[in-house]
Amino acid sequence: MERTIASRLGISVSEPVSFLIKSGIFLSVCGATLFIALAASYPAIHDTLHNVRHALAIVPCH
Amino acid sequence: MFFGSAVLAEEMNIYFKTTPRPELLRPFVDATDLSLLITGADGRPLKQGTVAIRLEAPHPGGVFSTDYPLVEGTVLSEMHLPLRQGRANWKQLLPIRGEYRLTVHAVGGDGAKMSQVFTFNVRENQKKWLALAALSTGLFILGFIAGRIFTGVPAGAVMAVIGFELFTGAAGISNAQQGQPDRRGVLEVESATVGKPVLIRWKAVTIGDGGARATLTLTVTHLEKQKVVFGVEKIAVDGEWSVKFHFFDGGEYRVAAAGTVPGLAPMRSEHVITVTGVEPPASPMTAVLIVFVALIAVGLGIGRWSKRRGASI
Repeated sequence: MERTIASRLGISVSEPVSFLIKSGIFLSVCGATLFIALAASYPAIHDTLHNVRHALAIVPCH
Repeated sequence: MFFGSAVLAEEMNIYFKTTPRPELLRPFVDATDLSLLITGADGRPLKQGTVAIRLEAPHPGGVFSTDYPLVEGTVLSEMHLPLRQGRANWKQLLPIRGEYRLTVHAVGGDGAKMSQVFTFNVRENQKKWLALAALSTGLFILGFIAGRIFTGVPAGAVMAVIGFELFTGAAGISNAQQGQPDRRGVLEVESATVGKPVLIRWKAVTIGDGGARATLTLTVTHLEKQKVVFGVEKIAVDGEWSVKFHFFDGGEYRVAAAGTVPGLAPMRSEHVITVTGVEPPASPMTAVLIVFVALIAVGLGIGRWSKRRGASI
C-alpha cells in the first residue's frame, strides 16, 4: 500500500519519514481508542467499561 | 483496642479506632466501623455528652487522581452523635485511597469541651495497581510490536485500523424525594448530586414537643454495589437527627431508618433515591491518556531500535 500510494502521488519518502508517518497514525488511532474506552461519557460505552475504569486506580470516573 | 492519638487534657481524652485496622482498609470494599471513645481525666468513659464529627476525604495529590476525583478534598459526612458509655460508633464506606481527616468536637455532660483531629490512611487495592501495570505493559508491547513492523519494511502496510480491546474482565429538603413511610417517623433526603454533601434528616413527628427520646438506626445502601455506605445504629436522639452526607457515586441508594420510642411500635422509614452522577474533570483524564500514549510511543521506539539492531548484527 505504501508503494502504491507513493507511486500514485509521485513521491518517495525515506524509511525514517515513513516510520514517523506510520507511527503518528498508529498513535493517533491508539489515543482515540483509549479516549473512547476510558473517558467517553456516551452511556453505552461508559456503562460497559465502568468497572474497567474503576479497576485502573488512576482513571477518573464519576 | 483503641488506637490513635489520645489527647491528654485536663478534663477528657479522645480515642479513635477503625475496624478493620487502617493498614487493612481498602477503598470501596465494605463499610468501615469508626469508633470514638471519650473518657474523663480519670480514664472512665463519659456517661453523657455528644460529639460533633466531620470526616473529610483525602485531598487531591500529584498528577493522577483517584477513580472518584470529585470526592477528593470534600466532606464525606458531618453529624452530631450522642455518647453511649463514652462511645460513638458509625459506619462509613471509604471511597478512595489517601489520608482521611476526622475532626472531633466532644462536649461532656458537664459542658466540658475538647477537640481533636485524627488522620488515617487508606491504601489502594493491590488488584487495581496490578490491573494498571498489566494495561501499561500491554500498551508498551503493542507499541513495541508496531515499532518492529514499521521499521525497515520497504512496502510496509499502513496500519489503518488497530483492533484494540481493553476488556479485562437538587436541593431543598425533601422537595424532590420525600415520602411518607409511616405515621410517626419521617425521613427527609435532599436531592443528591455527586460532589455535594446533602442533608439526611429523620424526625419523629408525633413525639409531642420533640423532646422525647428515641433510638435511631439509619443505613444508606448503594443498591447497585449492594454495599452499606453509611450507618449509625441505635443512637439516642431527641426526636430528630440529621447528617450531612456525601453520595460519592452516582446510582440508586436506599436510605432506611428505624426509630424506636419506648412503649410505641418501631417507626420505619425508607426511601430509594437516585443520585445524579457528574462527569469528572478533564485534566486528570488528560494526564492518564498522555501517559498511556507515551507508553506506546516508547514501545515504538524500542521496537524500532531492536529491529535495526537485529538487522545490523
